[in-house]
Amino acid sequence: MKILDIALKDLTQSFRSLFAVGMMFAAPLLITGLIYFAFGGLAGGEGGNDLPDLNIVIVNHDRPTGDNPRLGELLVGYLQEESMPDWLVAREMQDETTARAAVDQREAGVALIVPADFSDALLSADHPASLTLVQDPTLSIGPAVLADLVRLFVDGISGARIASEVISEQVQQAGVAVNSADLQDATAAYAAWYAELQRNLHHSGQPILAVRRPAAGGQASEDPIKTILGATMAGMVIFFNFFTGASAAQSILREQEEGTLARLFTTPAPRALILLGKFSAVFVMVLVQAVVLLAASALIFGINWGRPATVALLVSSLSLASTGFGILLLSGMQSLRQSGPVIGGVISGMGMMGGLFTAGMANLPKAFNTVTLFVPQGWAMRGWKLALAGAAPAEVLLTVLVLAGMGLAFFAIGAALFRRRLA
Amino acid sequence: MRSIELALKDIKQILRDKKSLLFLVLMPLVFTLFMGFAYGQMSQPEDPRLVVGWINLDEGGTLSTALRADLERSEVLRLEETTAEQAGQLVQNGKLAAVLTIPAGFSEKNLDGEVIYLDLLADRATSSGSMAEQAIRAAVVRALSASETARLAADLIHSGGAAVDTATLQQAAEAASRAWAAPALGFTIEKAQGDSQNTAPAGDNPFNQASPGMIVQFAVFGLINSAMLLVLERQNGCLPRLLTTSMSRAEVIAGHLLAMFAVSFLQGLILVLAGQFVFEADYLRQPLATLIVLSALALWAASLGMLIGTLAKGEDQVILYAMAGMFLFSALGGAWFPLEGVGRTFAAIGRWMPSAHAMTGFQNILIRGQGTNSVLLPAAVLLAWAAGCFGLAVWRFQKED
Amino acid sequence: MKTETNAIEVNGLRKNFGKLEAVRGVSFTVQPGEIFSLLGPNGAGKSTTISMLAGLLEPTAGDAAISGYSVKDEPTAAKTALGVVPQEIALYPDLSAYENLMFWGKMYGLRGVELRRRAAEILEMTGLADRQKDRIGTFSGGMKRRVNIGAALLHHPRVVIMDEPTVGIDPQSRRHILDSVKALNQQGMTVLYTTHYMEEAEELSDHIAIMDHGQIIAIGTYAELIQLIGEQTRMDLTVNTDPDIAVRAWENLPGVSKVSRENGAIQTLVQDSNAALPRLFEAASQANVRITGVNIREPNLEAVFLHLTGRALRD
Repeated sequence: MKILDIALKDLTQSFRSLFAVGMMFAAPLLITGLIYFAFGGLAGGEGGNDLPDLNIVIVNHDRPTGDNPRLGELLVGYLQEESMPDWLVAREMQDETTARAAVDQREAGVALIVPADFSDALLSADHPASLTLVQDPTLSIGPAVLADLVRLFVDGISGARIASEVISEQVQQAGVAVNSADLQDATAAYAAWYAELQRNLHHSGQPILAVRRPAAGGQASEDPIKTILGATMAGMVIFFNFFTGASAAQSILREQEEGTLARLFTTPAPRALILLGKFSAVFVMVLVQAVVLLAASALIFGINWGRPATVALLVSSLSLASTGFGILLLSGMQSLRQSGPVIGGVISGMGMMGGLFTAGMANLPKAFNTVTLFVPQGWAMRGWKLALAGAAPAEVLLTVLVLAGMGLAFFAIGAALFRRRLA
Repeated sequence: MRSIELALKDIKQILRDKKSLLFLVLMPLVFTLFMGFAYGQMSQPEDPRLVVGWINLDEGGTLSTALRADLERSEVLRLEETTAEQAGQLVQNGKLAAVLTIPAGFSEKNLDGEVIYLDLLADRATSSGSMAEQAIRAAVVRALSASETARLAADLIHSGGAAVDTATLQQAAEAASRAWAAPALGFTIEKAQGDSQNTAPAGDNPFNQASPGMIVQFAVFGLINSAMLLVLERQNGCLPRLLTTSMSRAEVIAGHLLAMFAVSFLQGLILVLAGQFVFEADYLRQPLATLIVLSALALWAASLGMLIGTLAKGEDQVILYAMAGMFLFSALGGAWFPLEGVGRTFAAIGRWMPSAHAMTGFQNILIRGQGTNSVLLPAAVLLAWAAGCFGLAVWRFQKED
Repeated sequence: MKTETNAIEVNGLRKNFGKLEAVRGVSFTVQPGEIFSLLGPNGAGKSTTISMLAGLLEPTAGDAAISGYSVKDEPTAAKTALGVVPQEIALYPDLSAYENLMFWGKMYGLRGVELRRRAAEILEMTGLADRQKDRIGTFSGGMKRRVNIGAALLHHPRVVIMDEPTVGIDPQSRRHILDSVKALNQQGMTVLYTTHYMEEAEELSDHIAIMDHGQIIAIGTYAELIQLIGEQTRMDLTVNTDPDIAVRAWENLPGVSKVSRENGAIQTLVQDSNAALPRLFEAASQANVRITGVNIREPNLEAVFLHLTGRALRD
């Protein structure tokens, strides 16, 4: 019973602290909320990219010769079409110097310079047409998307040119006489087919190029932003769980400095029991925190954490690891003042190594993934990624065992050190 | 003069505290290293292109051969043979960005005018999956275009009374594919260099984002120590004692602000020098501009520290407010990730943040290759924020009993 | 040794911290129902002795018993019989007075109705019933001290140890604490009281043990201790020059048994103040020292300490 009394007293004190509650619940949800706010408009719906506005300025020097169409003008019109993404704002400028200055002064993200021979080059096969793209060097996404859009435009024109040339050539080789009207009809038919193909690829429910997403156990979220959020929130749960474990263990130092620990030792309760009561409080706190954060994030952000059994296993092993590590860390501290920054530094450092702050990033170097194995946070992150992908309990068993094992080992060492110190 | 004495006392207290080194210098350096590592590729692979799996059940087909040849010319991706059994796992593990499966009879049936579906296994939520999808889609369009061109040619030949067979179609398709092989468009991409004489692309160093990002983030976090002094001074009775001297409240405020500014500036300076000599972020190409941004940032951070020090009732609250400030200003201001990649609303709010202007100032120097004029506006915004925070802090301080 | 009749029995208690002998073989007995004071200057070993009795420190040698229970062999029973009021406030500032009392009561094995009743009684006794829901952190120093004492009494201990409970507090609160100690004693509680204030020991105690440098140098009732210095009188003098000159001039005078210096004044123990005073004046005159003040004091514990150690109680 005294273990419960001591644990309950510690829990009461902790939950009355604005700081503790803030760090346990508000901070992880706030950070994930920021990420959600930042990226929530992206990749939603029909590939809608709600990116910040990219202002582009176009300098059109195109001077087609003969009867060649003014493809430079067409390009400008194409980029100013309503069907273009909202975030793409295109306007024309008269000269290159002004356009470059606009980029320098961040009035535009990209200056597109169309050379004088643009139309002629595009319509002849002699040499490729060339465009100059002067971009703000801090940008990468917008200019890349712009380049793709321009290539799409050019492909459309090239396709028509190639179709016209090849049809004409093949007809001649077959020895068939056709008139120019027939060739124009064929080119027009090609253009119509091309437009239909684009509609199929981008707006049809059954595109010719069907994109499938790999899934595990059929539980994967189809919403890309939820995938990012899930990984981010998992990182936050793990980070703040370890932080809470260590902060809660600080209560031993606090009581030592305030004199209440010595007073506890003058009561009939054995010292081992007193320490056990305090350790129990740490475990309960991190467990409650994990459960609350998982529930809150599921409600607020719609994150599907995976199968209940898998989640339960991971929550338990994570709580064990956080508790054990917190106790071990604090067993080496001499004072409360010393412990604060050490906790912050160590937990942050281990969080980095464990990949908690880059959870939403893909394509990290392989060496980085190896480093994560050295810290319990890395193992926890692996487990949660599997859970988010719908893994069954058996698939996370290794992770769970490693985490729990680490937690118990940390606890055993930390508890022994505390007992020796307070004997 | 007494304000200076007070400031010196504060600085001495901060520098004597070993944990100051942790917050002010060590953590920012470690985070910079880490974030630069994460942004960039520290071990550059020989071929940086995305790896895409290729499953061709249409062996020898005209269109599938042309499609493969087109993809092998890509600057974005390269192909690797794989199997259907391994495909899902390889994409899920990130070993392949995508897997394209060409069904049996693709070429023949397409040339006959049938609709044949191609299967692309890719995770659009990842940048690699998304990029792979776009590149593959463009190549597929070209391949299908060659097929359509061949059919139109065949139709015209047939309508002209000549015989058309499979060989005719294939020949036409191959001709169209060869025509597509010659690129119709080239891009010359220039990164605006400002007034820099450096012709090497400045934006490729990931530390040009990570270094100023961490300077900004830890400018806010680092003032925990300074704010803590104010709180402790109030708690241990030294502040009331100070106010019993002939020192005015204004002098007290000025002294504390000066100390916070000095600490924040010193921190920034150390991190700038580390960025310059360790991470190859070229701050010193424009030393005056760097100094202006650093000073304005330090002043804003100091005034924010003052505000936190006057608002917080205890040490715990100092840490809480400082961390909240760090998260908010860093995330919203583009210190963690460029605002280019976020939603429109987020970016719009972020651009008002002082942290965003600090980032702009540093990036104008590091990445845009610009000079002193380019940092004047960001510095002015930082100073305006500093004035606002300072005003609030003074008001709060004056209200205290 | 389990003598049922003694509230506290201490036998040859020793405590070493490395080479430092903080307590060097202390023995004393406290009868049930009495107030026993341990008097001595800072660093005498009082708190170390108390810590051993309270089970916070393990004795290097010797043993002690609380109500017959050995602190070494039966620590739990000994602690159950004991209430400890620490020198510093040892309460949880973010818990209310009531919550603190409830918690400490549970630590002493109280539960349920009995615990609630006892907590209410303690709150009444300390005059804090109307502040019971307020957090300790909002209390004044005196109020905290009252709760600090109250928390040690919840379980009706037979023996209460109070370790310098009046250090650093205002006279009013001090008066309140001294009155509380007497009231507790009148209810039958045995009190072991440590202090370096002579007047507290004098006012409260049935028996006093004077401690210095880890040893008990005298033990007895107030009257018995005063007898140690016989009929000697203490005289405090001030001089117009370096007191050491006067000390050298007086220390070997007949009728002067002790001379020591304290904070610029000179304390002397003399057999007969009427006879000694002219000699002191004459010796001072010969040494070109002018006596500027004389204060003749009745024998007290301070004089006893001076007699036994040659030093002032308040160092």
